[in-house]
Amino acid sequence: MLITRLLLLCAALCLAACGGESASTASNGEFPQRPIRVIVPFGPGGLADVTLRLAGESLGQTLGQPIIVENRPGAGGVAATNTMLNAAADGYTLIVLTNGTAIAESQFELNYDIREDLRPVSALAWFDLILLVNPSNGITTLEQLLEKGRQNPQGLRIATINPGSTQNLSAELFKAEAGIPATIISYRTSPDVLTALLRNEVDLAIDAYTALKGAIDGKQVVPLAVTGSRRNAALPDVPTAAESGLPNYVVEGWNAIYAQAGVPDDVVAKLNDAIVQVARLPQVQERFRELGVEARGSTPDEIQQRLLADIEKWRAVMVDAGLVQAR
Amino acid sequence: METLQNLALGFSQALTPDALLYCFIGVTIGTVVGVLPGIGALTTISLCLPLTFHLDPLLGLIMLAGIFYGAQYGSSTASILLNVPGSAPAAVTCLDGYPMTRQGRAGIALFVTTIASFIGGCFAIVLLIFFAPLLAQVAIGFSAADYFAIMLLALTAASTLGAGAPLKGLCMMVVGLILGLVGTDLNSGQFRFTFGIPALADGISLVALAMGLFGVAEILANVTSGQLPVLENARVTLRSMIPSREDMKRFWGSCGRGSVLGSFVGMLPGTGPTIAAFMSYAFEKKISKTPEQFGNGAIEGVTSPESANNAAVQAAFIPTLTLGVPGDAIMAVMIGGLLVHGITPGPQLITENGALFWGVVASFWVGNILLLILNLPFIGLWVKLLSIPYKALFPAVLLLICIGVYSVNNSAVDVVLTFVFGLAGFCLNRHGYPSAPLLLGFVLGPLIEENFRRAVLLSGGSLAPFIERPISATFLMLTALILALAGWHRLRKVPVKPVE
Repeated sequence: MLITRLLLLCAALCLAACGGESASTASNGEFPQRPIRVIVPFGPGGLADVTLRLAGESLGQTLGQPIIVENRPGAGGVAATNTMLNAAADGYTLIVLTNGTAIAESQFELNYDIREDLRPVSALAWFDLILLVNPSNGITTLEQLLEKGRQNPQGLRIATINPGSTQNLSAELFKAEAGIPATIISYRTSPDVLTALLRNEVDLAIDAYTALKGAIDGKQVVPLAVTGSRRNAALPDVPTAAESGLPNYVVEGWNAIYAQAGVPDDVVAKLNDAIVQVARLPQVQERFRELGVEARGSTPDEIQQRLLADIEKWRAVMVDAGLVQAR
Repeated sequence: METLQNLALGFSQALTPDALLYCFIGVTIGTVVGVLPGIGALTTISLCLPLTFHLDPLLGLIMLAGIFYGAQYGSSTASILLNVPGSAPAAVTCLDGYPMTRQGRAGIALFVTTIASFIGGCFAIVLLIFFAPLLAQVAIGFSAADYFAIMLLALTAASTLGAGAPLKGLCMMVVGLILGLVGTDLNSGQFRFTFGIPALADGISLVALAMGLFGVAEILANVTSGQLPVLENARVTLRSMIPSREDMKRFWGSCGRGSVLGSFVGMLPGTGPTIAAFMSYAFEKKISKTPEQFGNGAIEGVTSPESANNAAVQAAFIPTLTLGVPGDAIMAVMIGGLLVHGITPGPQLITENGALFWGVVASFWVGNILLLILNLPFIGLWVKLLSIPYKALFPAVLLLICIGVYSVNNSAVDVVLTFVFGLAGFCLNRHGYPSAPLLLGFVLGPLIEENFRRAVLLSGGSLAPFIERPISATFLMLTALILALAGWHRLRKVPVKPVE
């Protein structure tokens, strides 16, 4: 057992060494001097993890130090944020925040204040959600679906993952914006949502492209609309919900890098520079697009404004849906 | 014919020196983490996933899959030898595996376990090769109402797991159902019984519960009994591993039934090897002519859950590879691994990436054969473990349990919970309350609740789907039949005397 662990450790170190070797130029006392740890509040294999790992390689080369991804999954990113806050405020420990962080703010009793204890570095990835239907029902546009919802006294049955997720709240928002009766049915995972749609037990599923790419590409399910303010580059023929008759229905997810509040300005500036640069690289753009995600950096201020706006936006949706008490 | 050609293509991929090497690495790591209590396949695969980003996708998948099914082989070892399960599914193997060890039959138990695992795995691979797309379609046809009925049957059938008074077993099952309520309610998003502890928002960790109830409780029982167990027959000759003719007769049937049941449960998304192992054990006990032997070293009590859990993990690949619908968390992690390489599992995987699909399938055979070769000679070595003085062995096992439980969620709360459950399990076992029904209640409870509520939500509040759907109706009828039979037996006979 010990041997396995040691082997794994060796392997990890070798990889780290290989990554660092290729561009170990920073030696004149400048940041960074050693590998940078990025904490992901989700398990390996998810959207946040995959995008960070894809960008992480290039980011490591740009900064001259390897990026080490550490997964700390668990309720609302609480464990991840606490790990982050327990590390030194030197810029060598970073965290991925997401639109989910903005939701968790209203959901959990937190022992920290995300606005005070962390400082923004840059956005990294932007994505939308997809409204999907089963092809056997003959519905091909969002207008048709809305019409069906109005005709049916029981309304639409919408499948999403667990309450409090971006997907689930987007369904609540959809219900409110469309003004039609609907029942939201919760499933544990995205594949469960897909199965429900394949089985034709729901009228609509709302999830991210990455999660259901196989089924969409394989034409098992039909995308009616995307929730972003612009069309998704991976699905150029699919209109936005705003184009299809729901002008105010816009949901955009994002992943961003944050540091601790005490990290010096020059370190944040250097990190921001590197991330913005990496997000522009053609290979990063290309790999992200395959996943239905847009790679785009931002100024620290821009992403912070986004976080604050999303906290308010989702709190309002949750209060309306009766998921949390109004504060 | 076409299948055979595809298979040939698969073997040409799986038998390259590189593929063999990664398959070997995978199954070896799998066996080792399987043997170690607490550290399971999910943790290990999550840990190894980033390493595969730098590998050829086929090699990466072969290695990860090897860890997954390799862990099922290894996880029964500690169950049989120490009554400490290597992973949650292997908790079932403790029920009869450990009594066999106490009877000096550890070598036989390990031997039949390995063979049963091999048969279970191979059976599911055959299904995967010849019927994968068809079976996947059948599997996703099971609706929420059907899941509810199947899980209810499993719960009813298994209510008399292991030895002991049936009423006490039932009590423990209810406690398990209650523990399963802890966490976020799937329908309303409200926290239930989390007592303000954020770590409980995702529910109680199955690994913490299993390791506490079985591992820690067993160690406490041994330490407080005053006399530490001295296990004789630490020398294992080849002969002591060979089961008798009588053993073999009971072996084949139970193994076959375990493989079929395990494959069925495994291909249903959302279930997994733990449920497969419990169901096949309960089934085997129900149909046995000598149910009183179960819990006291019945060989079927070891072979049926072991063949079932291996069949289940192998069958879990059927919906994952053909529909892109992963059956459980481990499969989801593997799909993430493929996505990084720009490969999307789904219906087009077989046509677009045929070499990958058939290569992985062929590697399952290779891996299972490697595991057989790896495990049989090691049996003697494992049994030697028993000759280590208990006072030296148990602190090491405790430490491993702590590391294993912690590594699942990197959560210290889980470690504390493990010891709370350990203490509770120890006290309860002392008074004749068995742990296995609690674990089963915990695993099935959330599934039953979730699917019942979902079925009713989908039907707009009507209970009709439960009796209108043929699958659901059949399973509900079987459940009623079992209950009626039990009631009838009770009326006719004096209640079964509790076995201490």
